[in-house]
Amino acid sequence: MYRREFLQAAAAAPVALAAELHQDVPKYRVVSRFQPVAHPGMPGPYGGKVVRVHAEKCIDEKSEKVDVPTVREMMAQGMQGLTGDADTRDSWARFFTVADVVGIKVNCSGAPGIMSTPEVVGEIVRNLGTLDVKPEQIWIYERFKNQVDSAHYDRYVPAGVHIWTAENDRGSILSYDPNTYVDVNFFGEEDTRSNLIRLVSERFTKIINVPNMKDHGAAGVTGCLKNIAYGDFSNVARSHSGYKTNTYSFIGTLAGVEPLRSRTVLQIMDGLRGVWHGGPFSPDRKFRFYPKQMMFGTDPVAIDRLLLDVIDDKRKAEHSVSVWDRSMTNVKSGYGYDDNPSINRFIREPGHIEYASALGLGIYDVHKIQARKIEL
Amino acid sequence: MIVVFLAVLLPGLHWDQAPETASAVKQAAVERLYVPADQLTAWKKEGFDAQSFDPARYVKLPAPGVRYQMDVAAATSVPWVDANGWRFERGRAQNMDRQYYYSVPWHKSALAAAEAYASGVDAVVHPDPRDLTALGSMLAFLRSIDGPRLPALANIGIIDDGSAETGEVLNLLARRNLLFRVVQASDPALDLNVRIGSPEYPKAEAANPAAFATRVRQKLTDEKRLVRVYGSDVVLGRLEGIERQIRIHLINYGGGKVEGLRVRVRGPYPHGTLAAFGLSNVKVADYGASEDATEFTIPEMDVYAVVDLKK
Repeated sequence: MYRREFLQAAAAAPVALAAELHQDVPKYRVVSRFQPVAHPGMPGPYGGKVVRVHAEKCIDEKSEKVDVPTVREMMAQGMQGLTGDADTRDSWARFFTVADVVGIKVNCSGAPGIMSTPEVVGEIVRNLGTLDVKPEQIWIYERFKNQVDSAHYDRYVPAGVHIWTAENDRGSILSYDPNTYVDVNFFGEEDTRSNLIRLVSERFTKIINVPNMKDHGAAGVTGCLKNIAYGDFSNVARSHSGYKTNTYSFIGTLAGVEPLRSRTVLQIMDGLRGVWHGGPFSPDRKFRFYPKQMMFGTDPVAIDRLLLDVIDDKRKAEHSVSVWDRSMTNVKSGYGYDDNPSINRFIREPGHIEYASALGLGIYDVHKIQARKIEL
Repeated sequence: MIVVFLAVLLPGLHWDQAPETASAVKQAAVERLYVPADQLTAWKKEGFDAQSFDPARYVKLPAPGVRYQMDVAAATSVPWVDANGWRFERGRAQNMDRQYYYSVPWHKSALAAAEAYASGVDAVVHPDPRDLTALGSMLAFLRSIDGPRLPALANIGIIDDGSAETGEVLNLLARRNLLFRVVQASDPALDLNVRIGSPEYPKAEAANPAAFATRVRQKLTDEKRLVRVYGSDVVLGRLEGIERQIRIHLINYGGGKVEGLRVRVRGPYPHGTLAAFGLSNVKVADYGASEDATEFTIPEMDVYAVVDLKK
């Protein structure tokens, strides 16, 4: 048996463009049996378009209780605003059919403090149900079991919906596709591969990305790109060492791997809660805040570009260092970061969003982003 | 080329418990038993072809395993691995008849036996008494492995000056699954020859053996490596073989089971079979062979696994 292997040649030109943004980009080798497609899910049919829906009563800040009818209305308005349809069902039908096997990529790295809100995920599942997508064809998925277990998604979705994690034991590679990976040597590590979750390459026909609005100690912020990239591949923590992180180029590179890029057709950023420092985790509630909004689109870059301002504005309001700060005087690797918003753990790389744009994943220029705000 | 098939030698047991433990030793099905000189007669009476243990005949080895030393092994969570394969390679170049001795703590005897067997050296293991059953299980597994020993495979030649610095370089090459042979002079048949102290590999660089090993890896290139292991930081491999068949020995130093191990071996081998200690009915998965390399997944492994690859 001979394995077919090829580099994603079609991505070569954007890679060259992206490399111009930054000089010390590592040498990536993308291995996939999936050919790039003409119209991939990212940036998708609504490149550069973001619909932001804000609803003051979607969550109670004190109790963190979510108001489900408000979430339902936010999602209806967001989807209709994105597609221009008058009927929410028509909006969803633009992306999914009854035959689809849908993966919902949640983010649980901050659970139980912050995660893709179960009520939001439940509403997504309900909308898929209106298209007659069977519960058994819906997979809520993440990498780490202990994080997902604390979110209790099972209480918010019909029986039959799969709640699945790639690593029941941390470090296990069994749930990853051995033939779809990015090979790169960052720091001389022995295992140089990051493999794509097998369900993505072998089972899902469509993916909905449901990130949160969070600060991130390495990437600057973690939104659509970080969630779909680091959340779908194995062995990614190796990209950080000491004060240096390779999130700048690794996030976009991973997000662009086929078939992940083609199958991720919808981005729903859940900003009911947010984390303005200490992310991606949320060990301390004092760094949690409540944007009370959701963003809808197909372009992960455009949404993340807006997220950058949300997080950085909040950090400025809290008199902490900007996500753009690269001063070594503020970097104290391993000391105090979790508790002090003026300390950086790594030199942050919020430029990963612009880099992903250069890879063709979406629109970064804020002047070219069509942002529409809906207030409920 | 004339290929010399080597005899298969199972590790022996050094047992200093009283002869009253004979039934337990019998159950362990040990082939070679070494006992204190003053107990020799008693053990023979129990029906054992025992030999008296003379520590002076052996090179004592540290116990194999891992140590999690913060900020020492690596910047991340990669643990420190105590492995003796490099000592065997060095010893093989110096003295073919060297014999080795492990005195190991609880839970380490099976690993010690596997390490010695995988390297094809003559060794005696002194286990914690509680480990006798586990050691017996490992010996039974080793006995079940078919076929003669094949010549060891390596594509890096290290010209050894016998120094401690070079020893640590050998250790870290083995730690990174960079398969080497200790040679007296450069061997043009190898992909890379390294003489520490030469202009290309200054002795001062070997003072940082980790960086030196990284440099050797870069010079060789990952594409030319004979074996790569993905999915674990604590599994080391050893290759032996001839043109149409090779055997890869995989030793897990980590102390726990590995769930999923991806292995890449240079060269096309369309057929592969797995034997894994402590696990029945485990087969290689996601097998693929191209002109350049063969890859497969071992779904689960305990201390030791052997994969035979054939053209």
